[in-house]
Amino acid sequence: MRRLTKVALVAISLSMLVNVNANAHGGATGVVKERMTIMETLGKSLKELTAMMRGKTTYEPERVRQIARQMSSHGGDSMTKLFPKDSLDKPSEARPNIWTQWGKFEGLASQLTSYAKALEKSANNKSGASTSGGMPQVQGMMNNSGMMTNMPEADPELLANMPPDAAYIHITQTCGSCHEGFRKPKK
Amino acid sequence: MTHKKLFYGGGAVVLAAVALAALGGYWLVQGPKIIDRDLRGLDGDVNRGAYVARLSGCIACHTDIKAGGKVLAGGAKISTDFGSFYPPNITPDPVDGIGDWDLVDFSRALTSGVSPNGQHLFPSFPYTFYAQMKNQDIVDLWAAVRSVPPVKGKPPKHGLRFPFGSHEGVAVWQRMFFERKPLKEISEKSKAWNRGRYLANGPAHCGACHTPRNLLGGRKTKQQYEGGKGPGGEKIPAITIEALKAGKWSKDDLIYAMRTGVKPDGDVFGGSMGEVVSDATRFWSDQDLDAIATYIMSDNIMYPAASKKEDALVYD
Repeated sequence: MRRLTKVALVAISLSMLVNVNANAHGGATGVVKERMTIMETLGKSLKELTAMMRGKTTYEPERVRQIARQMSSHGGDSMTKLFPKDSLDKPSEARPNIWTQWGKFEGLASQLTSYAKALEKSANNKSGASTSGGMPQVQGMMNNSGMMTNMPEADPELLANMPPDAAYIHITQTCGSCHEGFRKPKK
Repeated sequence: MTHKKLFYGGGAVVLAAVALAALGGYWLVQGPKIIDRDLRGLDGDVNRGAYVARLSGCIACHTDIKAGGKVLAGGAKISTDFGSFYPPNITPDPVDGIGDWDLVDFSRALTSGVSPNGQHLFPSFPYTFYAQMKNQDIVDLWAAVRSVPPVKGKPPKHGLRFPFGSHEGVAVWQRMFFERKPLKEISEKSKAWNRGRYLANGPAHCGACHTPRNLLGGRKTKQQYEGGKGPGGEKIPAITIEALKAGKWSKDDLIYAMRTGVKPDGDVFGGSMGEVVSDATRFWSDQDLDAIATYIMSDNIMYPAASKKEDALVYD
């Protein structure tokens, strides 16, 4: 009898564990689940990349290329096709303006791919340890030209010939622009 | 006779009470004392002022960046519990902007929350923080604001719910919640810590979102940085040292996130902090990012102000 209780308890605990796992995306299903998983993967990649760019872990060009290829494969059409019109089922964090500003959304998705490709090509251009942690200095002048919105779009061909920090920063800005414009703020 | 006396006596008491209430009401709607800065002899520098604008979020709020609006020509709608605010056009256009203001008007609006026509300004404009700004920063900022091209047109009028749309109400609000305590340098603290304290409590106005507010929108200053509500009801996280440590944030992480938007978990800020990074902190100097992180990550952000006496304020 006691053994039976033990077994039952273990079974209950296990089923709870399974539930917790199923709830990692709060019960997301279908395309919403798919894109939330990919966003999580991108976040993990960016975390690893950031650690290398900040000099917290050893910079490994081959690993950077792998991550860059993975990121670029998730951009462009692969990204936009995960956002069929009005797919806002809970727990989606997408904002409906994705579909009213589709062109902008599409543009950011394809930027992710082109900047990630630039990162892949520039992975070998890292010289020595980065002291600034890859942080660009942007001192703005108060005029009406370039300084007020996000960094002007950079030519991926140019970025490919620069240190990888440049492409990396453009990737982070692409993520940020997309989150700012199209991800629901926390409530 | 006695009745008559009583009648007149009672009348006088009632009259006195009414007069007192009227006076009290009048006193309330006058708002707190305006403390004008003595800015004589200071020269403004446009470039430094542009940097001060980045420190204080002027551009982020007064420019509708997403809609491609002109710089300082009026910002995007800010939704709050009290209704919608539209940050005004502050370009030098004399009709739609603030072209007919002078430095004294600007400084008064910034540090006392009163417009040149005597209106008490809604505290969505964070003058309760700007009241801490150093004289030189104000003069530089004014030079920068004057330097942008004038733009015609202005955003819509604020759409505020009754009774929050009244400027007299704001005067009363200011009497209740507008505390001005000087931030004198604390000599036993490092230079970076003091600078960070100035930035956080002054121009950068972290507490505007990260400190909870009461029902009337007054900040619960004893719960500094314990998390609050941002524009549109956005949940704003706590940035107390305890909360940051629990979230495994280091000082370096904080600096890095304010420079790039990348958080330690690999996520990139969206929401209002995304805007803060892309329109403000991204442009800060390394020293200033280090300073604010030094202060935020220190365990005594509530360090008492050196003096409570308003007249003794020093803003050099």
